[in-house]
Amino acid sequence: MTRRLAELALLAYPLAFRRRYGAELRALLDDSPPRPGTVFDVLRGAVAAHLRPPAGIDAGVVGPDDRLRASISGVLACWLAFAVAGIAFAITTEDAPFVAAGSSHPLLGDVHHAIQLLAIVASLALAAGAVPLVVGALARARRDSGLRLLVSLPVAALAAFAALTGALAAVAHAGHSAHATTGSGLAFFAWVLAGLVCAVVCLIASRRVLFLIAVAPRVLVIGFRCATIVTAAMIAMAVSTVLYAFALPIDSPGLAAAPNGPWHPTSVAVAVILQAAVMVVAAAAAATTVRRGRRAVPAIAA
Amino acid sequence: MCYYYVMRYNGERSTDVGLLVLTSLAEGPKHGYAITVDIEQLAGVRLGPGTLYGALARLEGSGLIEALEAQDRRRPYRLTAAGGAALQERLRALDRVTRTGFERLRLAGALP
Repeated sequence: MTRRLAELALLAYPLAFRRRYGAELRALLDDSPPRPGTVFDVLRGAVAAHLRPPAGIDAGVVGPDDRLRASISGVLACWLAFAVAGIAFAITTEDAPFVAAGSSHPLLGDVHHAIQLLAIVASLALAAGAVPLVVGALARARRDSGLRLLVSLPVAALAAFAALTGALAAVAHAGHSAHATTGSGLAFFAWVLAGLVCAVVCLIASRRVLFLIAVAPRVLVIGFRCATIVTAAMIAMAVSTVLYAFALPIDSPGLAAAPNGPWHPTSVAVAVILQAAVMVVAAAAAATTVRRGRRAVPAIAA
Repeated sequence: MCYYYVMRYNGERSTDVGLLVLTSLAEGPKHGYAITVDIEQLAGVRLGPGTLYGALARLEGSGLIEALEAQDRRRPYRLTAAGGAALQERLRALDRVTRTGFERLRLAGALP
C-alpha cells in the first residue's frame, strides 16, 4: 500500500523532474523497503522541486508542446482544488443573512458579486480551452482501444458520482429532518470523499490522454491562453475572497462569529479564512505553472 | 513568509544531504540505492527517495556530480572535478569548526 501511494505521489513532481529521475526513483522504491514516512518524503521532495527547480532540469527533457500540456493540466489541477474551496465559500455565504449583509454593506455585496462573475468567466474559459482537446481525444479514442479505456474513466467516475449524489439526495429528501444527524454528517463526508476521488480520477486520466494524443500547436496555444484566463480569474477571486474574509468581521461581526458547516466546527469567519487560504495557494500554483508555460509559447508558435 | 521558511528549511537540509551524497560518491560511482545504504552506514541516517533525488538533482544541476550510463533503471553518479574540490573545501571548513569546538570544550573543562 505504502509502495503504491509513494508511486502515486511521484505524479506530484514537475514533468521535467519525472522524465529525468522518474525511472530511477521507481527503481529506488523497488529496492528499498517502504516506510511510513516514504510517501511524505516523496511529496516533500515534489513540493521542493516545484518551489526550487534544479538548474537546467528542463534542458532536452521537455519540449515546448509538452511544456504547454503540463501547464494546461497543472492549471486544471489547481482549478479543481480552487473549485472545492469556491463551492465551500458559496455554500457558506448563500443564506439570506449574507444577502442582507451584502445589501447593507456595499463592499461585501460587490465582492460577492465579483466572485460569482469571475467564476462564470473562469468556467467559460475552461470550457473553451477544454472542448477542442476533448473533441480531439474522442476522435482519436474511436480508433485506439487503449485510449478509449482511458477516456471512459472520467465519464465512469462522473456517472458514479452523479448516481451517488442522486441517491444521497433522495435519501435526504425521504428522511427530511430539521437537525443534522450523525448519519447525515457521515453521508456528507462520504459524498465529499467520493467527489475528491472522482476529481483525482478525472485529473489523472485527462492528463494522461493529453500527453498521449497528437494536438495541433494552434489548439495547444488556445488551450494555454484559456488556462491563463482561468488563472487570472482565480487570482482575482482569491484576492476578492481575502477581501471578503477581512470585511465580514468588520461589517457584520455577528454573522462572522456565527457557527458554520455541516457539523458547525468553526465560525463563518474562520471557514472563510480557510477557504481563502486554499484559493490563494491554488491560484499561486496555477500562476507558477502558467509562467513556465509562457516561455514555451514563442517556440511552439514559431 | 511561509515560502521563506520552507526555502530556508530546504536550503539547510539540502546542504547537509548534499555533503553526505558528495562524501558517499567520493568512494566511487554509485546509484541511488547504493548511496542510501552507504549514507545509512556512514552517518546513521536513512534518506528518503524524495530527499535523495532532490539532492542529486541539485548537485547535478550545479555540476558537482554527473550521471553515467544507466544500468537497467539504475543510473550511477560520480563526483566531477568541481564536486571533488567543493567537497574538500566543505570538509576543511567542517574540520576547522570541529577542531575549534573540541578545543573550546577542553579549555572549558568539559572534556577529560
